[in-house]
Amino acid sequence: MESTLEQHLDDTMKNPAVVGVLCTDQQGHNLGCRGSLSDEHGGVVSVLAKQAAALTRDPTDNPTVCLESESGNILIRSHGTITVAVHKIAS
Amino acid sequence: MLPSGVLCKSTTAALTAGLDRIPDQLGYLVISEDGVLASAGELENDEHTAGVMMEMVRTASRFRLQGSADPPFKRMSVILEDFVYTVTVSGQKVFVVKRQNNQQEPISI
Repeated sequence: MESTLEQHLDDTMKNPAVVGVLCTDQQGHNLGCRGSLSDEHGGVVSVLAKQAAALTRDPTDNPTVCLESESGNILIRSHGTITVAVHKIAS
Repeated sequence: MLPSGVLCKSTTAALTAGLDRIPDQLGYLVISEDGVLASAGELENDEHTAGVMMEMVRTASRFRLQGSADPPFKRMSVILEDFVYTVTVSGQKVFVVKRQNNQQEPISI
């Protein structure tokens, strides 16, 4: 199972606009990461996803959080119990 | 001396910084550490959203990329199915705008 996740992470990194990717659980534990995103980002990523979910009453409406800065965009979205963050730069 | 009504109007205009003129906006909030300074539209008196946004700004400001001295974000967006919250921080104030989400279908490549 882990190898499938690792394969997905590698495939995601093949996109030239993607410079980092991270998967975390609800507690902020790192399930796998590549590039600019690492262990230390798991906590903030999972908490932001959880806080964003409080902005809608519809449990099926899955929010995407986007942090835009000089160093690109960090996109965060939860899928069930797993939260994925992707660091993209303008390509 | 100006009549108080005039003074009050110009203070509010400075506070909202043109948020009311943003196209497709459904409402906005101006928040400081002390609470909501201004609100309008669908976000009028929305203390819940204001509280969540302040928490999110605090969380997001802890996000640091390795070797980067830049602030973690210039703008934070929360994209939902029908609308988008866009958040910027200026001075000691947090500006939140709720806008219609004109969703574009993803293209397959």
